Order: sequence, then C-alpha cells, then structure tokens
Amino acid sequence: MSSAAAGVSRRGVLKLGLGATAFLSTAGLTASLSGCSSGSAATGFSVLRASDLPFLRAAIPVMLDGALAGDALQSAVDQTLHSLDHGLARLSPEMLNLTQQLFDVLAMAITRGPLTGIWGRWESADAGSIRHFLERWKNSSLNLLRQGHSSLLQLVLMAWYSRPDAWAQCGYPGPPKI
Amino acid sequence: MPVPDTFREGLARGWKTHDGSRLENDLTLEADVAIIGSGAGGGTTAEILSAAGLKVLIIEEGPLKTSTDFNLLEDQAYSTLYQEGIGRMSKDGAITILQGRAVGGTTLINWTSSFRTPDQTLEHWAREHGVKGHSPADMAPWFNKMEQRLGVAPWIMPPNANNDVIRQGCEKLGYSWHVIPRNVRGCWNLGYCGMGCPTNAKQSMLVTTIPATLENGGELLYLARAERLIIDNGKVQGVECVAMDERCVAPTGRKITVKARHTVLAGGGINSPALLMRSNAPDPYKKLGKRTFLHLVAFSAGLFDEVINPFYGAPQSIYSDHFQWRDGVTGPMAYKLEVPPLQPALASTLLGDYGQKNAERMAQLPHTHMMLALLRDGFHPQSVGGNVELRGDNTPVLDYQVSPYAWDGVRRALHNMAEIQFAGGAKAVMPLHEDADYVKTAQQARSLIDRLSLEIFRTRLGSAHVMGGCGMGEDSAQSVVDSLGRHHQLENLSVHDGSLFPTSIGANPQLSVYGLTAKLATALAQRLKA
Repeated sequence: MSSAAAGVSRRGVLKLGLGATAFLSTAGLTASLSGCSSGSAATGFSVLRASDLPFLRAAIPVMLDGALAGDALQSAVDQTLHSLDHGLARLSPEMLNLTQQLFDVLAMAITRGPLTGIWGRWESADAGSIRHFLERWKNSSLNLLRQGHSSLLQLVLMAWYSRPDAWAQCGYPGPPKI
Repeated sequence: MPVPDTFREGLARGWKTHDGSRLENDLTLEADVAIIGSGAGGGTTAEILSAAGLKVLIIEEGPLKTSTDFNLLEDQAYSTLYQEGIGRMSKDGAITILQGRAVGGTTLINWTSSFRTPDQTLEHWAREHGVKGHSPADMAPWFNKMEQRLGVAPWIMPPNANNDVIRQGCEKLGYSWHVIPRNVRGCWNLGYCGMGCPTNAKQSMLVTTIPATLENGGELLYLARAERLIIDNGKVQGVECVAMDERCVAPTGRKITVKARHTVLAGGGINSPALLMRSNAPDPYKKLGKRTFLHLVAFSAGLFDEVINPFYGAPQSIYSDHFQWRDGVTGPMAYKLEVPPLQPALASTLLGDYGQKNAERMAQLPHTHMMLALLRDGFHPQSVGGNVELRGDNTPVLDYQVSPYAWDGVRRALHNMAEIQFAGGAKAVMPLHEDADYVKTAQQARSLIDRLSLEIFRTRLGSAHVMGGCGMGEDSAQSVVDSLGRHHQLENLSVHDGSLFPTSIGANPQLSVYGLTAKLATALAQRLKA
C-alpha cells in the first residue's frame, strides 16, 4: 500500500472509529432503556443473564479449543460459565456494569453485526467466524474493542483454569494438602 | 497436625470485632483514634498507638478471613481478598492492579518480599520533594524495628527453580543478584502467599499487629467502607461508614458512624486519596490523587527442559537490581527484576492468546519460567504517574497513561529478561506481548523485541504496588501531607500508608510502609499523649 493510500485508510478508520464509539454508547443506552439488558439472572446463575449465554456458549469452546475436546469440552463450557458467574458476582458494581455492557454489545443484533462481523445468531456462528471476530477486535483501532478482546480472554481463561478439571492438561498437580 | 488458627482463638478469647455485614441496626462507635485500613500502614499504626494506651478502632472495607479459610484456590482468593474482586485496573483497562482488600490488606496476599526503602529513593525525596527527617540514617532504626517485629530475613532455603533462573542467568552474564528478605516465621515453602498464608507463617498484619492491637483492647470493624469524613472547622469530626454485604460488593443499608479525636487514613494508594475526594477535603493546590505510581510490570516467559514448577515454593527469593541505579536515580526508566508465582489461572491470562496457542503454552506450564520487571516510576520529569478519579458511584479509578519514557523502559526490560533467561538455560523465550511467540535464540529474541509495537493491550502489563496520591513534603503547595503524615489543612487527620510516597520506591514497598508508618505512629502517639 502506498503511503498516501495508507493515510486515506487511516483517516477512514479514524472516522469509523469515532462513529463506532458514539454508536456503542448509544447501543448501551438503548439496551438499558429498552430493558434488553435486564438485570435479572438466568436460571441457575447469580448474575449471568439469559441474553449473555448464547455468545458465551459459542465463544468459550473456541477459546478453550486445544485444551480439551468432545464431551470434556461441553462439561468445561458449563464449568467455565459457573466459575465466571461466581467471579462476576464478586466484582465491584462498576466493573460488573462494564462487563455487562460488553455482553450487551455482543448480544444485540444492532451492534453485534457491525462490530463483530457475526450477522446471524451466535448459536449458528462457526468457530472460524468467531476467531475472525476475536482477531478483528484484537487489532481494532478502537481501544474499547481491544479492551473488550482482552477482557473476554481473561474472564474465560481465568474461569476455566481455576477449575480442578483444567489442571491435568496443564500439568498442575493442585495445591498441597495442609 | 492441623495449623492452629490463632486469630479465631483470639476471637474466642473475646477480642472485640464488629462484622458490618451482620449489623441489624445502625451503629455508633467511639475511639481515641480511628484507623481506616488494616494493611501495612493501618496495622503498624494500630499496634503502636494501642500499646501507648490509646483506644484504637480499625476500619476495614474487606472481609475477615483467617488461616483456616485459605484453601489455596485461586478463584476464591482472588474474588474475596483483592480490591474489586480482582477487577481493579487502570481506567483504560490496560493495567491489571493487584491490591488486597481484607483484614490485613495487601500484606495478606503479597509475596513477602521485604526491602528497606533504597537510600537513593530517600535522598531523592529529601532533595526533590521537600521531605524532611527521613534520611537513610533517620530511617534505619525504624526498618530495623519492623524487621525484628515481622521476622524479616534473607530467605534461608534454596530458591525454587523459578527464582533460581535469575541467579543462574545473572551469574553467567556477570550481573548482580541477591537473596530476597522475607517476612516469614516457620515458612513451609508452599508458594501460595498470594492466596492468604494457610500456615500463619507469613507475618502479615493478620497475625502480628492486628492481634496485638486487639489484645491491647483495640477494636476491629470489617466489611465497612469508610464513605466520607465529616469535616467541619478544619477538623475531622467523624467517619461515616457503610456496611457491606458478605461479598463486599453491595452496601447493606446499615451505617456506622465513628467518632474519634484523631483519624488515620491508611487505605493505601487509590483508596486513601479517594476518601479525601469524597469528603471534599481541602486541596487548594490540586495535588490530591495526583502522582500515583504503579511500578508498572512487564513480563517475559521462558521454556526449560527441566521441570520448573513455577507454582510451588516461596514465590520470590532472588532479585537483580543490576539495571536499577546504574544510569543514576533520574536517568532512563530503570527496573528491578524478580519472578512471580505462576498458578494456572493467573498463568493462563499472562501467557496470552486462546484456543490451540494458549493450550500449548499452558500444557508446558511445569517447564515454564516467568520473569518480571518492576519499573521505577516517578523519578524523571516524564514519569508523572496517574491520577485518581471518582467514578459515577463515587468509587475510585486510576487514570494511568504509559508514557513513551516508560515504554522505552519496557523494551529494555524485555531485552534484559530474555538475555538472562537464555543465559539461565531457557531453550525458548517469549516476551508477553500479543505479537510475540516463543523464539529459540537470544539473537531471535533481540530482533523480535526490537520489532514489537509496544502499546497498551498488546503488551501485557500489571501492577501490584500502588504508591503516592497523598504525597508528603514540607511545602503545602507541592504535597498533601507533611513529612509526619499530617494533613496540611486538617489538623486531626494523618495519612499512614503507601499513598505518602512522593515517587515509587524502586523495590517491593511493604517494608517501606512498615518503617515509615512505625516512625509516624510513634510521633503521633507522643503528640496525642502530650
């Protein structure tokens, strides 16, 4: 790419960037006004909401791919969700709020399509398109999306590797008995 | 043989404590001195004041957890014992900030490294920040006193393999290295200091100064957030606290009002300035919450043929200050080299990426070495630290921007760490950065690190040391409190914690807090008894 073209494209990205930031805050506002991000937890969880689950159930297997496979992976997804829920229930309200806004942006069609490139439901997204979305956020010009990428990985990996079932794969014998 | 839970035994003997989460009615408590925070500064101050015959009340936002609660599980420790349920980070989300929040504060979960404040730092404070009376000679007896009190001594057992890499690498390269002094007695060498010591070997405030305070008739209020100082006529008239639920997330609706002649603020960096902000404390020169430092941390992973098991054994026992002072006190960003303990949940987030890549890195955890560099911020004009702000719900957040000056330090630190890891026997090294993977030679590491685009989120950054924000000094236009920790505008308010420091320390700060606050508390006791 010539440097002139790079300049044009950087400006383009910058414009899109500012637009998208406004878009994100609007989406957050819309979500809370419309009750889309209702505070009520899904059955069996203390803070994770029904609207958070389709994304998480689609993304967790991709993030843990390689650590496990098959039935073990399915069980790991459930365990990860419960660990995540336990941790989120103990976050400060401000940090929980930010995390829920992130989940809202991922859940609502109006923001999900343009920001993740996943235009259909999370349930029908294949692993390749989820990897593409994560790559896109990692390299986004928007700090907000790069932060989102980093938060999602930390939340999921930490939740899984806190579980004793995760330890055999990483050669951790577990804490000593006192 | 089960380990005796000495704190619970004390409770059974009648120590006076109040659990905010269980209050059914509002409460009023009175004391000579209210101490807000139960970490290094609060605990040390409480013991000294109560031994002087003053009635002390310690107020702690977090829960009371004792040795039998410490089950060495990462998720439980992180969500219970750390600020914001381990959710604390810089405002832009780029730096994870590990700070304790339980009875004992950060001393409950730190890795026990106990260094005196370096002479260079104390001299710099006197020269550049108008700090009076805390020269190396003035401070030496106070460090000595607290070293005796807390069993601080260089670690006598062989370092674990994770720490030994620093020794071996530095030996080979002719770099200096030393054994880390630790505040432990009868340590079992387990490696779980970050999750609460299950054997009461770590001489945290939970097993030393707080029990002594309670034995002296002091009281402890926990799961209570000091929300506001009631300020009138240039004095603190009381402290308004809100009771927190047992998760320490939501206020229960009960309130505790504390009346005391004198108030000591010891909530640590970020929290102490935030309480003053919430209280509209006078701040005529807009210094409050400014110059908050982090010892920004960058990491480098190394792979070894031999087993490292970085999750077991005393977490920190060897360090190198080879790069700390050689370019002067105020030269390019300098750093101390140490290692972190590496249990799997923490490791998984540090090692980065996800899916196959992360799984491969995690599968090699027993052969993984991790090194870290603590960047000494605040000594150079281009290292101004961060600012504490209040969020919508009046809780604090730190806005900390990583300066080009700091990034230059990060890059040099990544180079030095890789060099030491290869010299120490690593077969591959990976700087912790989104665009890096393990490389097999020192030459490859050098060109990789030179190429890395150092920016937030791509570079994995952390902090476990929050310092400054209520900086001390004799010039009230340049500082929040004087060299004795006395607030410049509020006559019966003192600050006794790491927020006093005009710069970062250049070493793990706990002994700096112990030594300085022991000195300040002794002087305060004399003033209050006069």
